[in-house]
Amino acid sequence: MKSHNKPKNSPTGKSNQGAPPPTRNAHGILDYRLEHPDFRVVEVTKGGEVRWEVQGNLGAPVPPLRESQYLKQEQCIEIYRWMLLNRRMEAALENLYKQGKVVGGVYFGLGQEGCSCASAYALQKDDWLAPMIRNQGSMLVRGFPARDIMMQYMAKAGSPTKGRDASSHFGDHEKRNVVAPISMLGDLIPVMAGVALGARLQGLNIAVMTYIGDGGQSTGVFHEGLNFAAVQKLGLVLIVENNLWGYSTPAERQFLVKNLADRAVAYGIPGVIVDGTDACQVYDVCHEAAERARCGEGATLIEAKMMRMKGHAIHDAAGYVPKELLEYWRKRDPIARFEKFLLAKKWLTAEENKKLIAEVEKQLEEDRNFAEVSPMPKPEAAEGGVYCEAGCHPIQPKYGGVKVAAGKPGAGKPQETEAAVHFR
Amino acid sequence: MAPVTYLEAIRQGIWEEMERSPEVFCIGEDIGIYGGAFKVTEGFIQRFGPERVIDTPIAESAIVGAAFGAALTGLRPVAEFQFIDFIGCAFNQITNMLAKSHYRWGAPAPVVLRGPSGGGVHGGPFHSQNPEMYFVHTPGLKVVCPATAYDAKGLIKSAIRDNNPVLFFEHKFLYRRIKEELPVGKDADYVVPIGKARVAREVKAGGHLSIITYAAMVHTALEAAETLAKEGIEVEVVDLRTLLPLDREAIVATVKKTNKVIVLHEDTKTGGIAGEIAAIINEECFDDLDAPIVRITSLDTPVPFSPPMEEYFLPSVKGVVEKVRWLHRY
Repeated sequence: MKSHNKPKNSPTGKSNQGAPPPTRNAHGILDYRLEHPDFRVVEVTKGGEVRWEVQGNLGAPVPPLRESQYLKQEQCIEIYRWMLLNRRMEAALENLYKQGKVVGGVYFGLGQEGCSCASAYALQKDDWLAPMIRNQGSMLVRGFPARDIMMQYMAKAGSPTKGRDASSHFGDHEKRNVVAPISMLGDLIPVMAGVALGARLQGLNIAVMTYIGDGGQSTGVFHEGLNFAAVQKLGLVLIVENNLWGYSTPAERQFLVKNLADRAVAYGIPGVIVDGTDACQVYDVCHEAAERARCGEGATLIEAKMMRMKGHAIHDAAGYVPKELLEYWRKRDPIARFEKFLLAKKWLTAEENKKLIAEVEKQLEEDRNFAEVSPMPKPEAAEGGVYCEAGCHPIQPKYGGVKVAAGKPGAGKPQETEAAVHFR
Repeated sequence: MAPVTYLEAIRQGIWEEMERSPEVFCIGEDIGIYGGAFKVTEGFIQRFGPERVIDTPIAESAIVGAAFGAALTGLRPVAEFQFIDFIGCAFNQITNMLAKSHYRWGAPAPVVLRGPSGGGVHGGPFHSQNPEMYFVHTPGLKVVCPATAYDAKGLIKSAIRDNNPVLFFEHKFLYRRIKEELPVGKDADYVVPIGKARVAREVKAGGHLSIITYAAMVHTALEAAETLAKEGIEVEVVDLRTLLPLDREAIVATVKKTNKVIVLHEDTKTGGIAGEIAAIINEECFDDLDAPIVRITSLDTPVPFSPPMEEYFLPSVKGVVEKVRWLHRY
């Protein structure tokens, strides 16, 4: 069995000098955050109107980033660049939507770019990723150009799904190891567990990473998939993106527990809480979880706390979200925080920053132009490809074939048996 | 070589495929040391080891999802539903994750989903279902329903070698009730093609009518045909074997031959495949019909538990014989 070096830092709670060590809560879950916001959303009826209000302390100052234990300067800048591309791409999509060039809706990961990009950055070549709708940044990191995502939104023939599905519903099982999501939530979790199972049967422990929201974690299949991964010790790195809103439903209406990472105890796996707007924290715990996975130590549940800064999709103005909540999280914008961090450390000068932003804009402009002029599919292209026939895909084991010890050849030859159940 | 049961034939088929190709593995509830609730995988874990015969938690969505995930790494999982009735628990994974993956993103799902279906065993509403039509209605899937031991073995092999998700519905009534001599030695590794029907009882030109059917009802039809032959009524019996893709040519061929047709299935009436077949006959060979198409099906109720009620619910040989006589006189 191919193995990697033992992970040096399983979630054991070590940290860099300067920052206080992560704390453990009453359930033994490690919390890497440098602040612990204490507010909640409550339903209030006032003057015949029912609405959500936020109560609690929203006045805390924004803490610095928790410096990464692993990321070097160049890597930080790379992640920062991905985050910029993520955000600028979504801004471009918004413009295209307003010009009537997008088919259907647009889903934004605004405020969540640090989580999408830093997490995917922790993966290696043989690892697998399955994005959810707001993890378009992770797909960029995994090697899909922005033009692919834009063509998906514009339903073009050249999109990765040839116009057959929208938004982030695409993947690549051959080169980039990305599984395409479906709209139903939680179903990717057992699928990713199965990917890890398939790799392990072929002698390789890999990390398989996917996401689920505070809303999606309510589904039954979340439980089935996570429990299966846990009991089978499969290398699932499950990132629960608690962005406080599932469409119009606040977290307080979605579950009763305080931290979703606490659920890890119920599955017998490690759980970790991070500030989802701190790319360094996200990277570090994802790196450690991925290393655990590659050593055959099984699954990890990561809760990244942050805020969904726009509505559910572009049509949703999200007026139901209390304004003070948005203000609080606007001060914690992941890109602004990372930029400040890089400039303060002098890992980036103001000049270099400007240049970087300009490069990203230029690349995006090229991709956008490409996507805009690319053709729509022919109507007849709706047909075909429902089945894999006549050798259209040669299905070969990806990691060299099954390498498990068989039982004795000739052992247990099939023989006549009696029915085990009372159905005759 | 002694005749083997329908169940034995399935076991042989899966076993031989697992020996032929290390990429094939089994996953399901109680299939390992226990050998499966119906003993289909008896002896497998001793021969192939626990990594290739995996006992899962009770989690059908996870079983199907994980099978798909493993298939993405190039393996060929055979996932078992302890009773096919439980397939409802994995409905979303099957119809939305597996069935659409090749169409949407070019990722084949070479997964076999198999298990015991059908009634006549006093199993009640949740151990007797015929859920085939939920899946026949889903483009991207294949649905196979063998009626003989020979076909069961040949079709499970085809299903495992197929690059698409195949739902393999075994009929539990037939598991130990029918036996057949199967090819041995070099000839043991045979396949039956998916998507091709078989004429179970052939009549010469001038035969009086056809019964198109599948699974356990094939045997009901054959029994009825024996009785009717004594009255001078010649019935051709066509065993569909695969429901999706349906063998339209075989359906048309038998209609052109006899001009009168009964579609017989154990599945409930409304939304059963008889309606689909009637529509196909209407499209392809309406002018060859000398009478309306007759359907013989179970009632539009859940499968009742108590034996006299279940017997009333299911089609019977007697009922088939009566309907044939009526159609013959038409």
